[in-house]
Amino acid sequence: MMPALLKKLLLADLFEGLRVTFRSQNPKYIYTEQYPAQRPEVAERYRGAPRLRKDPETGKTLCNGCGACALACPEDLIVVGSERNPETKKKELVTYTFDLSRCMFCGLCQEACPTDAIVLTQQFEIATYSREGQIWDRPMLENGVKPTEYKC
Amino acid sequence: MPEATFLDTTELVLNMGPQHPSTHGVLRVVLKLDGEKVLGTDCVIGYLHRGVEKVAENRSWVQFNPYVDRLDYVAAVSNGLAYCLAVEKLLNVEAPPRAQAVRVILTELNRIGSHLLWLGTHALDIGAITPVFYCFREREESIKILEKYCGARLTTHAFRIGGLPAEPYDGFARDVIAFCDMFLPKVDEYEELLTNNRIWIGRLRNVGVLTAEECKQYGVTGPILRSAGVQWDIRKAMPYSGYDKYEFEIPTRTNGDTYDRYIVRIQEMRQSARILRQAAESLPEGPVMAKVSKVVKPPVGEAYVSIEAPKGELGFYVVSDGSAQPYRVRVRPPSFINLQALDRMVRGALIADVVAVIGTLDIVLGEVDR
Amino acid sequence: MPDQPNPTHPEAPAAAPPPAKAPPSKPPAIMATTPWDGDLPRQLKEQFGDSISEASTYASQNFLVVKFDAVISIIKHLKHEANFDYLVDITAVDWPKRTQRFDLIYILYSFARNERIRIKTAVPVASRPESAVSVHATANWLEREVFDMFGIEFEGHPDLRRILLPEDWNGHPLRKDYPLLQQDQGWVQANLGIERGQ
Repeated sequence: MMPALLKKLLLADLFEGLRVTFRSQNPKYIYTEQYPAQRPEVAERYRGAPRLRKDPETGKTLCNGCGACALACPEDLIVVGSERNPETKKKELVTYTFDLSRCMFCGLCQEACPTDAIVLTQQFEIATYSREGQIWDRPMLENGVKPTEYKC
Repeated sequence: MPEATFLDTTELVLNMGPQHPSTHGVLRVVLKLDGEKVLGTDCVIGYLHRGVEKVAENRSWVQFNPYVDRLDYVAAVSNGLAYCLAVEKLLNVEAPPRAQAVRVILTELNRIGSHLLWLGTHALDIGAITPVFYCFREREESIKILEKYCGARLTTHAFRIGGLPAEPYDGFARDVIAFCDMFLPKVDEYEELLTNNRIWIGRLRNVGVLTAEECKQYGVTGPILRSAGVQWDIRKAMPYSGYDKYEFEIPTRTNGDTYDRYIVRIQEMRQSARILRQAAESLPEGPVMAKVSKVVKPPVGEAYVSIEAPKGELGFYVVSDGSAQPYRVRVRPPSFINLQALDRMVRGALIADVVAVIGTLDIVLGEVDR
Repeated sequence: MPDQPNPTHPEAPAAAPPPAKAPPSKPPAIMATTPWDGDLPRQLKEQFGDSISEASTYASQNFLVVKFDAVISIIKHLKHEANFDYLVDITAVDWPKRTQRFDLIYILYSFARNERIRIKTAVPVASRPESAVSVHATANWLEREVFDMFGIEFEGHPDLRRILLPEDWNGHPLRKDYPLLQQDQGWVQANLGIERGQ
């Protein structure tokens, strides 16, 4: 009986909790990432900014203008413009527009693409200052948009 | 009638508005008060209503999958599981064993993540500021595994109709077991901070009591029902996705107050870690996707499938008219139905208890409003 | 959001994969149900006779189709006699081409028997089904939501008002004739001070 009353008077249960808090004050448990000096490592499969890939050897775009990505997108934000090449009689890509402001990064477009042309890359810094800047056209998708580098 | 003096109080209507740090989202509660005592409440919801059920009728079955994550955005994987199970029921296919095991792993990881977020924010509402940092640190570890698997941390789109989108990455099982090893001592740490703490006990004991009979009347499920003494868990009662292969217990308590719900959820986290370890150690080989055609067109019919989400019974009632678009998708939201019991739980309590009860109901407004 | 529709794509309902080619001469497909034989449907048929039009099973889930005015008495009977003490959900489905436009669905579960049952009833527009609040307290908000989304009013509900949409909103969104991108312009302009919400 006595120890329980003593524990109650001396605030033993509160000190038990404080012990946990003081234990984690050790500098080796610091968990904060110093962004933007230290950028986080994202996973390989991360679904970030979209890119239109090109064939590494020939340099031509892998996209064949089929429009499977536009059909698969739940938000209907891809517009594929293609025209038939009179010589090879095959569809060729002309324009490709991707509206990033409505994209929910679900990855259905990259799953639907038969040639692995549209991929969602690991870039996550895609904020812009205007709504128009969020609509990416074919050159932006092929070359990528670099985020602003800050001196810090 | 005795003459009114300046010591008498009149009824005050106070608005705990949609912008409030303790209402876990855009929830508005209009309180009718007598001094500090609550006489009645009226919840006004719908600030996050996005019309998900209407959107479902205008997308295809496969295209609706990413929208489902946004319902209970804290545990997005469970929503995906419930939806995929419902459509698979209509199609009469079952995901292969490897897919089922990975689904169990990801759902239990999400359950731990959801309970961690609950614990952190609930403690923050009561006034204990430290647990939220520790809980989010552990939640970060579980989210890293999800990110490595499917590419997104919060709105994962982790499952497809018929199975999984891709093979789990190399080292998946090893990461999960490492998480379990790291996680169990941390649960002991949270208990050290809170369980015997006199302030915690004083704030939570006998607050928001809901008996088993009232739970059944109000349709309240999940940890709230289990804290009232009813040992019922859909994972045991109507097993899905291979849960009958794993050994785990259903923690129950008897009082039905807020403190008991805290204990039930802590124990559930431990049991989830147990399931994780068993599933990761016994991951079967095989394909990850069943034979489902690219354009999903279930035959005419309807089905109701529910799972044990971290918040309660999450069910999907799907009606198909034979086309590639759903005819009707109804989400049975546990948070919406649990929130109904708020009025019953805070009659006669103080305003501070209203905050504790909203926390213990573990609501996510995305699910309440859809 | 710019005021004119996004130039990259016209204002149209979201596209889905190309619609299935349904030859108009084929009769509409119906659900391939099997009849449900068991103690429970037999007892209910004895008790309620022809109020129960159908007792079937689809995808191993049992359901009853009952007449509109017998629903609450059947739910009461199921609760007191057959232990179905937990009302899981109340929802509705809109079939605009039928004379009885809405399908009101109640899902019940019994803890003791570990069994789930669905009760469906056809409700014409502007009819008022009886409220289930007296039997299961959880029906309060569920029926408010059905009223909000479909416009089905429940007789005897203690507090029938809109729950997810503002109180003075016009229209019932989950009906099939309410387009996806429509909003109550009057409410938006009066309460939010903007021209349109889209």
